[in-house]
Amino acid sequence: MMKVQKSMFEIEKVRRVAVFIGMFGSGKTEIALNFALKLKSKYEEVALEDIDVISPYFRTRDLKAEFEKMGIDVITPEEKLIHADLPIISPKVKGFINKENYRVVIDCGGNDDGAVVLSSLYSTLRNEDHDIFFVINPYRPFTDTVNKTVEHIKRLEKTSRLKISYLVNNSNIGNLTEERNILYGEDFAEKIGESVGIPVAMTVIKEDIKCGNTRFPRFEIKKFLKTPWEV
Amino acid sequence: MAEKVMVKGNEAMGEAAVRSGCRLYFGYPITPQSEFTEYMARRLPEVNGTFLQSESEVSAVNMIYGAAATGTRVMTSTSSPGFSLMQEGVSYIAGAELPCVFVNVVRGGPGLGDIQPAQSDYFQATKGGGHGDYHMIVLAPGTIQESVDLIKKGFDLADKYRNPVMILTDGMLGQMMEPVEFPEFVEPDDLPTHSDWALKNAEGENARIVRAFNIDPVELEELNIAYQKKYRKITENEIIYKEYFMDDAEYMFVGYGTMGRILISVIKEAREQGIKIGLFRPISLWPFPYKELKKASEGKKAIIDIEMSEGQMIEDVKLAIEDSSRIHFYGRSGGIIPEPNEILDVMNKIIGGDNNV
Repeated sequence: MMKVQKSMFEIEKVRRVAVFIGMFGSGKTEIALNFALKLKSKYEEVALEDIDVISPYFRTRDLKAEFEKMGIDVITPEEKLIHADLPIISPKVKGFINKENYRVVIDCGGNDDGAVVLSSLYSTLRNEDHDIFFVINPYRPFTDTVNKTVEHIKRLEKTSRLKISYLVNNSNIGNLTEERNILYGEDFAEKIGESVGIPVAMTVIKEDIKCGNTRFPRFEIKKFLKTPWEV
Repeated sequence: MAEKVMVKGNEAMGEAAVRSGCRLYFGYPITPQSEFTEYMARRLPEVNGTFLQSESEVSAVNMIYGAAATGTRVMTSTSSPGFSLMQEGVSYIAGAELPCVFVNVVRGGPGLGDIQPAQSDYFQATKGGGHGDYHMIVLAPGTIQESVDLIKKGFDLADKYRNPVMILTDGMLGQMMEPVEFPEFVEPDDLPTHSDWALKNAEGENARIVRAFNIDPVELEELNIAYQKKYRKITENEIIYKEYFMDDAEYMFVGYGTMGRILISVIKEAREQGIKIGLFRPISLWPFPYKELKKASEGKKAIIDIEMSEGQMIEDVKLAIEDSSRIHFYGRSGGIIPEPNEILDVMNKIIGGDNNV
């Protein structure tokens, strides 16, 4: 078991490019959206890049207009292809990663296929100051045990050719989430962290959920991706 | 831990099938259903099941035909264009009276259409789709938990009546995530063996034949009459629907699946405005709850059917209620979901006497 430094993560310390990866439905997109907003409150130039070619619904691109109104550059496939079920990565994605005056958040697709897309940015990313966050929800089927999750982390690192910098605890069961679920996720993420030698950056909590002290820095989020009956 | 988990509709139906004792899945990925296929590819080997990706939906349906002839639980999932490709096989399966489950995660059509959610495959699901006088049992869930429950029920009904069952859902319910509680595992060894007709374990007995073919018109008609007798029995026993806010309702919505769920949000808003409106949500689309809907509509000033299509279930609503002067329809198509505010406007216009909606 590796000794992991106690996380002292602060959003101010995040490197210029923040990439969110994980398994299907781990909450990457929702966290990436909120992370971009948080950065926007501190930095002038923020870009949010949608390189998720896997998910057909509930995507960053669905929030493009809303986020652009808030002054965030949202990089998606061009308008006429935005609904196409095709793996399109805008050439602007690399362009914005290279812009040194920009803070960049990358919402990557889930699973191995998402990591393949990230791997295509390897040569660009390796030259830039970046952090890669692996998002974990232990209430999702493919990350419900420590062993399974560790396997996924190792495989996704190999596929993407990039090293994961931090784990993110996004433990939740939707609108049924209680404090105990969030705290269970902290233990879970910590065990994984000890096994792979990666620190846990933060615990994600939806703004309307009451949760006392968390072990890891808390990152409160607002839900943007809604079902038609939640509008 | 026996706790609820966060699951996508597509994954949830896959897990529900595994827990219902299904160990055979033949299929082909298609958006917005592909997570289902992926889930089964990963999950079935863990329970000694067989996942096979076919070269097309045409071969998938014929693999199901073959597997179902052995009386073994078998299923596939697909989305609209994929299910169109399966129609010939579905007709053969219905004719041969074989139990199996199809899931159609409906997307916008016709043709290649798009990948957004729709309800425009209602006619295909409930009125045939393939050739001949046959019916699938068609069940339409409104939540992911209900999707899970109906998969289990679907397999049971398929076995009980030796009939194909369709779970008719849509991209929204396939793609979204919700907390779900899964049922206990049913072991394949505890399932009905169909030992009186299935093409297995018949060594030393008379040869068994499973087919949807009879060259003698008199005998073929007899077969058709027998099918109809079975369909009447299903109609008498297997109607499922739910009513919401109907106790004091002066008006009512009719909607199924995702649309039914949106209508519940609309009703809560309408009731805050003082409009007493309820919802009738058919869950079994075939057999359709004609009598139950007629009864529910009695005394209602207006009945408003809302669909994610240009109007398909509305035909059954009219057949049920007969008094067409009170029946109104509003629908959006092409993968567009009517929004709660849009439906409120339509409702207010209809209540205000405007018939041009």
